[in-house]
Amino acid sequence: MIQFRNVTKVYPNGLCALSNVNFTIANGEFVFIVGASGAGKTTLIKLLLKEIEPTSGSIIVDDVDLSSLKRKEIPYYRRKLGVVFQDFRLLPDRTAYENVAFAMEIVGASPKEIRRRVPAVLSMVGLGSKAHAYPHQLSGGEQQRVALARALVNNPSILIADEPTGNLDPVTAMEIMKIINLINRRGTTVIMATHAKSIVNAMRKRVLQFRKGVLIKDEQEGGYFDEP
Amino acid sequence: MNLRSWRFFVYHGFQNILRNRVMSLASVTAIMVALIVLGLILVIVVNLDVMMKEVESKMEITLFLKDGVTDSERSSLEKEISSWQGVYDVEFISRHQALEEWKRQLGDKGSLLDGYTGENNPLPDSFLVKIEKPEYVNTIVEKAKEIPAIEEVNYSSKVAEFIEWLARTIRLVGMGLVAVLAGVAAIIISNTVRLTVYSRRREIGIMKYIGATDWFIRWPFIIEGLILGVMGSVIATGVVALGYKFLLDRSSYINMRWGYLGIFRLLPLNEVMLYVLEASLLVGACVGVLASCLSIRKHLRV
Repeated sequence: MIQFRNVTKVYPNGLCALSNVNFTIANGEFVFIVGASGAGKTTLIKLLLKEIEPTSGSIIVDDVDLSSLKRKEIPYYRRKLGVVFQDFRLLPDRTAYENVAFAMEIVGASPKEIRRRVPAVLSMVGLGSKAHAYPHQLSGGEQQRVALARALVNNPSILIADEPTGNLDPVTAMEIMKIINLINRRGTTVIMATHAKSIVNAMRKRVLQFRKGVLIKDEQEGGYFDEP
Repeated sequence: MNLRSWRFFVYHGFQNILRNRVMSLASVTAIMVALIVLGLILVIVVNLDVMMKEVESKMEITLFLKDGVTDSERSSLEKEISSWQGVYDVEFISRHQALEEWKRQLGDKGSLLDGYTGENNPLPDSFLVKIEKPEYVNTIVEKAKEIPAIEEVNYSSKVAEFIEWLARTIRLVGMGLVAVLAGVAAIIISNTVRLTVYSRRREIGIMKYIGATDWFIRWPFIIEGLILGVMGSVIATGVVALGYKFLLDRSSYINMRWGYLGIFRLLPLNEVMLYVLEASLLVGACVGVLASCLSIRKHLRV
């Protein structure tokens, strides 16, 4: 469960990115965070990753107040989260397989586990045949699949996606959304920031809409339409 | 941290070095230069220490006699000195003999002394006193100084003192030099590590999102510094060892020429090089690790 309680974030330059935000996301939910540029989507995701601290209010994930986490505990908290970004963030000098295996290496998995788990996750995202291709040999959609596989390989309970379809054409974007939806149906909570109206409207999931840092709409099976 | 993680760190430490060959080479060279100087100083100081002890234990005292001591006075003096505890031989060396010996040492330049023969000989008569054990030296010197016919007492502890002073000076000046060079090497190494951190910033960012611990991210860079330092120290020891071996191979010649002084005996290679290897490994590893820690503190915001 993820809870935002009266969360306000004011950046040092005086910009108020989020103001008094309250919401709760239950385990297994699929939630879109929508809004125009500057609405506070990226700030919200950075707060969830504990990259930045809220100015006031508290964020609680699985009964743990993030502000109570010590520096040393942050990496272990982040292992509960899988993250994908608009720009994929793959390591260019490693194959798809190695990029995914890397995520397991750094949490100390055994080579045996890695050999068993990586091909399984790659075939789940539909990349089983291109495991040994380098990122530059893959299309944008394929690179995002690798990124998804990397985010999932350590079995996170929450998947955080920041504009995962932002760099993809509509058809490819829908394929990625199918995979994300599949992941959600297997029980992983999905939080996806986006401004792709067609995707949000096609999926009919919960929508949290922001405008200039204020939560203006929280709707089950919602849509994302032009603001009046 | 399990064994697997360490394999990961070491692998990435080496990979960092290979990716950044030019700066790595510069780092290794810098630390190597510092450690070669350290090695040279150690070689000299260790040899001087042994030399000093040898000189101190060389139990010969020269007693120079005043001019105008008669033959009978001389022979009774010789008897008296022979009776002192610890003395096992007293040899009289006349001023004439001393001059001849000096000429012989000068070799073909001996003719320079031609004008000093006979009445012009500036050298005094002397006794060469050989002593059984070093602990008798001081009492014998004290006793000899009280005898009016004896002008001056010459014993080798003065040479020993000089060697000691020399060793101390070389150690002091040398260590200062080593400190400066090691500092320069540290700056270069930390700069190299900074560059690797920079070139790996993407990877570091990804590692943070995936949940790598701070130390998991830091270790490869520390190991990079350690490897650079150890490589420099191994090469430096090799260079010093080669140089010392070169000197040793020629030391038989040196001994032939100067051997009668009995102090130019170099220590065996492996005995000296063990010190040098230990010291340079220690200094190299410390400088490498410290330098990369410095860099990580400043540039790796995890």
